[in-house]
Amino acid sequence: MSVEREKDKSKVHKLSLKGSSKLVAEFFQYSINTILFQRGVYPAEDFTAVKKYGLTMLVSSDDQVKAYIKKIMSQLDKWMIGGKISKLVVVITSKDTGEHVERWQFDVQIFNKSSSKKSSKKTVDKENATPSDSPEPPPEKTEAEIQSEIQSIFRQITASVTFLPQLDGDCTFNVLVYADADSEVPMEWGDSDAKEIKNGEKVQLRSFSTSNHKVDTLVSYRLAD
Amino acid sequence: MSNSHNSSPFTPERKTLDGETNRVASKSVYGGNLSAHFSKSASRTSHRDSPKSNIAKGVQTPRRALELGVSDFTLTGTGCKTPGSSRSRKGPLRQKSTKTTLSYGDRFIPNRGASSAIATVGSGKLDLGEKQRPKTSNGEHSSVLASAADEALAALGSLSLNDEEEPLTYSRPSPNTVAYQDSLASACGVSLNQRILAFKPAPPESSKPVDLRSQYNRPLKNANASSAQFRRRVATAPERVLDAPGLVDDYYLNLLDWSSGNQVAIGLERNVYVWSAESGTVSSLLETSPDTYVSSVKWSGDGAYVSVGLGTGEVQIWDVEEGTKLRSMHGHDTRVGVMGWNKHTLSTGARSGLVFNHDVRIAQHKTAELVSHTSEVCGLEWRADGAQLATGGNDNLVSIWDARSLAVPKFTKTNHKAAVKALSWCPWQPNVLATGGGSYDRHIHFWNTTTGARVNSIDTGSQVTSLRWSPHYREIVSTSGFPDNSISIWSYPTLVRNVEIPAHETRVLHSCLSPDGQMLATAAADESLKFWKVFEKKAGSASSASAAGTSGKADMVKQMTIR
Repeated sequence: MSVEREKDKSKVHKLSLKGSSKLVAEFFQYSINTILFQRGVYPAEDFTAVKKYGLTMLVSSDDQVKAYIKKIMSQLDKWMIGGKISKLVVVITSKDTGEHVERWQFDVQIFNKSSSKKSSKKTVDKENATPSDSPEPPPEKTEAEIQSEIQSIFRQITASVTFLPQLDGDCTFNVLVYADADSEVPMEWGDSDAKEIKNGEKVQLRSFSTSNHKVDTLVSYRLAD
Repeated sequence: MSNSHNSSPFTPERKTLDGETNRVASKSVYGGNLSAHFSKSASRTSHRDSPKSNIAKGVQTPRRALELGVSDFTLTGTGCKTPGSSRSRKGPLRQKSTKTTLSYGDRFIPNRGASSAIATVGSGKLDLGEKQRPKTSNGEHSSVLASAADEALAALGSLSLNDEEEPLTYSRPSPNTVAYQDSLASACGVSLNQRILAFKPAPPESSKPVDLRSQYNRPLKNANASSAQFRRRVATAPERVLDAPGLVDDYYLNLLDWSSGNQVAIGLERNVYVWSAESGTVSSLLETSPDTYVSSVKWSGDGAYVSVGLGTGEVQIWDVEEGTKLRSMHGHDTRVGVMGWNKHTLSTGARSGLVFNHDVRIAQHKTAELVSHTSEVCGLEWRADGAQLATGGNDNLVSIWDARSLAVPKFTKTNHKAAVKALSWCPWQPNVLATGGGSYDRHIHFWNTTTGARVNSIDTGSQVTSLRWSPHYREIVSTSGFPDNSISIWSYPTLVRNVEIPAHETRVLHSCLSPDGQMLATAAADESLKFWKVFEKKAGSASSASAAGTSGKADMVKQMTIR
């Protein structure tokens, strides 16, 4: 990303689409880890603290879980860069009842998809492109601003344990992705239903945005009976 | 269910097809205005708007039939039902706009699966009302549309069976459900040309059941909250940097030691230099004959003597104050890479794998031969009370010896996968030994030397070249070689890495703690000697901390200074 940034610095200081996708994908990775830790899907001892976004984040140190998340992330990276994803969902399911008890949804909006395409085209024949025909991107944020936005999301995810109902019994998790119909889908991924929570309560958390993406966070959970 | 509507087990899904046909009709009427219609129908009051706009356009029969259907429905239906119906129509509408052939089935069926309940609930009534209309409309439209209608009719055949049941199960949705459907519908707008994909492999099993209650209540020793609270600040810049020209870049040697008298001895090729931390002066203690080199240096416990191991296997004892050699002890045939003092006993480890104990006071100095290692001994450390000795070698073994019976090691540990140079006895828990492995191993293991059990392990990610426990903090510092070349401070027993200091340009070869336990000296292959205040005492706690020091050595020294 630093290379990306340096390249950009000459023009405008902003994250390129690729850098932004990477940032969003990385955000997902830490989100998944944070949710797994905070919601006790895996024991706390399996997590180690790392510094990220100016926070101490807990990421799984269990080799199997790490490998599992890595597999998800490697595909997610590709989709993100291709702009194929509109949602990422982490569903926590009770092992006992098979019921979906909690659903963390991250909505991804890609800004001016077309203009970014245009700009990629521009690199091919940038001599021909006139600067006026590219619409101005929304006001750019500094990296520090983006980081602080991400920070507050993680703070909220952490704080959400205070209002989320206690998860009883063993739980497991699944990762869903809302991808464009024309996305390339590797073997490991298959169509699924949305795994919505029936009669779930929803809480919208904060969002963050880069010059190319906006990510909204929403948690829905089963109300206590 | 990804690819064909034929294989779909959901009959209700098919129902959307007849809605489809109606949409087809309206589409042709709307023409260019279609998108406007879409956006309207997406809004909650859409079904009211659309008939009006239809009327305004003054349309033909099928259109009117549809209007009638809609308005009938609005009249008879309850308020709650209509949002459902308008939504269910919207789906196919969009569908049509993206693709005009019949292959749309695969597009929305997954989505139906997602919202199946809603689709069923919302469209059940509607379908009853609109069932006949496709017949009147399909005749006047393009073949594509007609075939779409045929498809729909075919679907209707099976649908009608269902229609009997659907209304029965249909119940007035709770406000909650409405909100739910609403959000879902808004999601539908996007998801029509979308697939919901799940990562299919099952996630790994949790290693043990988790009780969140206990997790929340747990004092988060190793987690962010408390570690941040208790974490001390560690200066990450060296206090002082000295040149160490000619320092041999050899992992197996031990060329740096700090005495209880606050002097640092370092072996640089053929010389041993002594640097006084008090005065900052450097003196050359000795220079070996040109055919050999210094392979290890070690201060005696009282800080008066330095033992020097040579490449030839000779061990010399020097009086530092006088600057004179007191004696030479022979016995090893190979270089002496490591030494350790226990009062008047000097243990020396050689490349041959042999460890000798020498009583430096007597002429027949060799008192014991410790046979265990089969390859070069590079780590050797006496416990502060002299009851146990730990040795580590290039044969990846850690041997723990009982001082009273040196014939065989009390324990031999084979867990490391590389040479073991780093050894350190815990100052506050005498039966805990920390050992660190070389580049292929990268682990620090903690042993209970009474039982021989491994009590903890850390994967450091790089070659462990030395380990030093803090006398005051519940911490241990490790120095590392490739690839990090850093100093890491770990809390014990939580094993959280408190800080990692990128210390040297090249691998850190040796380290030693100052007699007051606050300062760490590191020597690296970049030929520099750096001093780090890694265990700085808090003001006020200095006296109590030094009194708490378990080794007699620590007790007798006061606060040390470096100039």
